[in-house]
Amino acid sequence: MYLFEYQAKALMREQGIPVLEGIVATSEQRALDAARELGEGPWVIKAQIHAGGRAEGRICDSDELRGIEFTDTVLEVGRTAARMLGGNLITPQTTRQGETINAVYIEPEIRSELQVFLAILIDGDRGEPICLASVQGGSQVERDIVDDPNSLVRVSLGAADQIALDVGQDVAAQLGLRSSVRTAFAQLVQQLHALFIARDLSLIEINPLAIRANDSLVVLDARVTVDDNALYRQPAMAALASRTDRSEAEERAAKNGFNFIRLDGDVGTFSSGAGLAMATLDAVSHLGGRPANFLDVPPVLEVSRVKEAFLLVLSDPGIKSLIVNVFGAGIMRCDTIADGLLLAHLEQPVTIPLVMRLAGTNAPLAISRLERSGLSIQFAPDLASGAQMVVDGTDRPPPSHKTDSIVGRLAQWLSGRKSEPKS
Amino acid sequence: MSILVDCTTRVICQGITGRQGTFHCERALASGTRIVGGVRQGKGGATHLGVPVFDTVSEAMQETQANASVIFVPPANAAEAIIEAVDAEIGLVVCVTERIPVLDMVRVRAHLTGSNTVLVGPNSPGLAVPGIGALGIMPQGIFLPGAIGIVSRSSTLTYEAVDQTTRNGLGQSACIGIGADPVGGISASRCLELFMNDDQTQGVVLIGEVGGTAEENAATFLSTLSNPKPVVAYIAGQTVPEGRRMGHAGTIIHYGMGTARTKIEALRETGVRVVSSPVEIGTAIAGCLGQ
Repeated sequence: MYLFEYQAKALMREQGIPVLEGIVATSEQRALDAARELGEGPWVIKAQIHAGGRAEGRICDSDELRGIEFTDTVLEVGRTAARMLGGNLITPQTTRQGETINAVYIEPEIRSELQVFLAILIDGDRGEPICLASVQGGSQVERDIVDDPNSLVRVSLGAADQIALDVGQDVAAQLGLRSSVRTAFAQLVQQLHALFIARDLSLIEINPLAIRANDSLVVLDARVTVDDNALYRQPAMAALASRTDRSEAEERAAKNGFNFIRLDGDVGTFSSGAGLAMATLDAVSHLGGRPANFLDVPPVLEVSRVKEAFLLVLSDPGIKSLIVNVFGAGIMRCDTIADGLLLAHLEQPVTIPLVMRLAGTNAPLAISRLERSGLSIQFAPDLASGAQMVVDGTDRPPPSHKTDSIVGRLAQWLSGRKSEPKS
Repeated sequence: MSILVDCTTRVICQGITGRQGTFHCERALASGTRIVGGVRQGKGGATHLGVPVFDTVSEAMQETQANASVIFVPPANAAEAIIEAVDAEIGLVVCVTERIPVLDMVRVRAHLTGSNTVLVGPNSPGLAVPGIGALGIMPQGIFLPGAIGIVSRSSTLTYEAVDQTTRNGLGQSACIGIGADPVGGISASRCLELFMNDDQTQGVVLIGEVGGTAEENAATFLSTLSNPKPVVAYIAGQTVPEGRRMGHAGTIIHYGMGTARTKIEALRETGVRVVSSPVEIGTAIAGCLGQ
């Protein structure tokens, strides 16, 4: 789970980490007030979204505006905030649609000649947290590290809950920081590690950290990711999550425990298991189809949740065809999928070509049940043919369902009633 | 010779009395896997599914001579369950539990250092040696004893690879789901090593995912071999946009490492046949074996 910059900085402030005073604003007026409260300019106005690359990102329909803007006058702070709020920011790290800006963060602008990149994350190979740092901080850091891999300092932090001050001293020395700032830097690394452990974080990243001429350190930008698997024991972090700006569909999916991400295309996908869901996207893309979404429905016993998952994709007008790819295993049985689909069909009739690849536990039962329902479905023996069918299906007219079953008749009656003109 | 599980394997289940544990142990018992006991603190002395339940792993091992454990304990207590099994010096632990906090797994990994226990998982569908036994949740009836070793980071795609190698008649020597969590037990490289040294295995299917560096490490391992058996790989998530989360912690892509491209390039350089669509796995490995 990503935190917004202002949330990440609030966490750091609690930990005693040197962070600038800043104010969140969700309106032009609040932005104006914030600028005045923060004292004299210049100010920096930063769009709050769940992605990086903001300084390089553009806001839709505004030629010049980036996700991070610097201004000298209070009036300009208000004007910039007004133009940012409600806009869509597209950065190298968002999808093509970008992310809506619901809040901006206003801070005094700080200039420093030395900007450091500093991060703590899990090193999967070693199975413990690692500290990454570079003196080439800033928005170019990734490119700089690719160009000069030796500029990246890597120091393992071990499995213990605390690290010694020496660890940060080591990082500072490897970075070649001047001796007058090394102790403060080492303390910062220690504080960040303590925060990482205390809050079950999976990533903490400061880019950049300003090291000023007077030897003080200031966090200029911060990104924090919380380990989703630990939210059950981090209620404060979980509360922050409920305030994030997921799309309505993604919110609905999260409530039901589905992993759902809306993508750019028009071929809907429905799978169980993240790996199979990704393979389904790959198979569709491989044939020139454009997946509309990623949907991984975790193994469930309840038909009602499967129904919710189908409603999620069937109610999206941008989806022109749908492939269901489920390999029944464990508690996930194919007949649960079939029943969930039939229930969803009653609420939201299937009007797009539907391809199903069902294998594993109870697949024959599911297929016979669906065949008897009268729903128009193309059954695919394997993923290869299924992907082909669904990619072809985006161009086909909507299916006509046979009406030889109660469910089929009910659905047709429902869809007929919906299309009747209101008088 | 067989991989990790053989006819001497005696299995206990930690979390046997839970819903998941009950469901899968019942199926495993029905298919002939030797489940000799269960562990659930506070329920020692009871009998569940016809096998004795113990309070602790060491007690269960003492009474049943078990040498392997399969774990179905909920995520909040799963790391403690693994650590208990490691401390009891059991030979093999398969952890099915998903959504274990990563910092808990950091503690588990520290415990595994210097121990002889092999951990498969967590977030693993388990381990199957067709014709001998299975630990975990893999569906039955799709396996065929045969020549292909399968190692996979993705549960459901494991079944896909099993299905394809059963349909083309090659069958499987063993199938290991190592899980896709950022910090886990046995690595893909170590599984490849087991398969390379196994007489029954003629070829290997490696199923990776974007994120992490397991596939790059596997490529490095393969490059040290003079004459490796043929390997076919598929990397899931080639079309996943970078930096967006796809349901497994392991698929987050940090700092431009661990992308599908870097994995595919690393594997191809060592002579691995990397297929671009999951539907080609079966035919590709058959082709490598000249069939």
